[in-house]
Amino acid sequence: MDRSKQNKYSSNEKKDNGDGGSVLNGHFDGMVKRAAGGPQAPAAECASHRSTSAVMESWKEERTRSLEDNEMSLPSLAAAYTTILRGLGENPQRQGLLKTPWRAATAMQFFTKGYQEKIIDVLNDAIFDEDHDEMVIVKDIDMFSMCEHHLVPIFGRVHIGYLPNKRVLGLSKLARIVEIYSRRLQVQERLTKQIAVAITEALQPTGVGVVIEATHMCMVMRGVQKMNSKTVTSTMLGNFREDPKTRDEFLRLIKS
Amino acid sequence: LHDNKMSTVNNHHETSRKELEDASRLPALETAYTDILRHLGEDTDREGLLRTPLRAAKAIQFLTKGYHETIDDILNNAIFDEDHDEMVIVKDIDMFSLCEHHMVPFFGKVHIGYIPNKKVVGLTEFLCFVLVSVQERLTKQIAVGISEALQPKGVAVVIEAAHMCMVMRGVQKMNSRTVTSAMLGVYLEDPKTREEFLYLSRRT
Repeated sequence: MDRSKQNKYSSNEKKDNGDGGSVLNGHFDGMVKRAAGGPQAPAAECASHRSTSAVMESWKEERTRSLEDNEMSLPSLAAAYTTILRGLGENPQRQGLLKTPWRAATAMQFFTKGYQEKIIDVLNDAIFDEDHDEMVIVKDIDMFSMCEHHLVPIFGRVHIGYLPNKRVLGLSKLARIVEIYSRRLQVQERLTKQIAVAITEALQPTGVGVVIEATHMCMVMRGVQKMNSKTVTSTMLGNFREDPKTRDEFLRLIKS
Repeated sequence: LHDNKMSTVNNHHETSRKELEDASRLPALETAYTDILRHLGEDTDREGLLRTPLRAAKAIQFLTKGYHETIDDILNNAIFDEDHDEMVIVKDIDMFSLCEHHMVPFFGKVHIGYIPNKKVVGLTEFLCFVLVSVQERLTKQIAVGISEALQPKGVAVVIEAAHMCMVMRGVQKMNSRTVTSAMLGVYLEDPKTREEFLYLSRRT
């Protein structure tokens, strides 16, 4: 596994990404703490991540999967899916199911392809100096993710707003940031924060707001089975957090 | 004709036996899911994932519990003799399934219409969970199931679903829906009957 590059992050949230956070959980507030008894990671690497400037470096550490990894893991994934089919009482040899383990494995790799991409690759050449300091909003970005608790799809929409501070980002890059973080095993709260933090660190804007409204299949298809309920999470940073008028403008503009 | 009481008892035995089977299969499913997580590049020791293999295994068992209940079981407890021979339609029944090609959910609405032949059925709790299936086959299975249970003059089933394997991957068409239908009896033979059903079951 490509986990020789491990980063530990502390999170100020009460959410469950806790101190066991690995590089897969993204970066928060530039603070890094080594969890006791966590998976192996060289001490030297951790030490270098204790400053905010080194957070940019942490982006470079983000990739944990390559296309070769995918190819090599495919047979084991397919074998696991065959076991699952059998464990459900199905006959993996029947015609409709013959190649299903392979298709399911490839599909799952696609749903988690966010692990293969790095923010820094996506953003590097799309940051422009622009003397604009009014709010920029990109809303209704379709989002698909996998719930990390049940491995069942989550889908919904993301609305992003930010107040540039001399630097703006190519608009489709915002959607790409959403893609990279959402195509992973996720918790909606964490996803919202990761997107906000990524934009903050790329642009150093005056403020960022991210709102996600999503439907969780794990809630709709099982458990409480509430068909129409949506989960809404938001992260407000900088001006969006401090100035209620800015936040208000953002929230009003994303409503449709 | 079915003896409702006997079949209830039988069903109960069937269900508990299958529940026991389910529980005994859980460890194998759990191991499979742990493997999957690891091969996707995840760290299975991190807090959010610690119990995920167990939860995912239980979730997929739940999503496929249609195996525990055949159409027969669902319907047999709710067949009543009734002298009604006009069309009965139950529409917008929520349906969830797993596509058998990618093991990814597809879900949508089922609309059922039938013309009773002295026997009607209570379809209130018809929330279908069927295992890995193909939408066409599912539509047919429902139609045939009702047909065999009630011997009505005709049965019509329409399913309109969104396939996550199409929406979340592959072509990624957000709003496309797949519609399949099965028409039996008078619905097949008489175009006007079919038309009435299709009109009445249309979304308002």
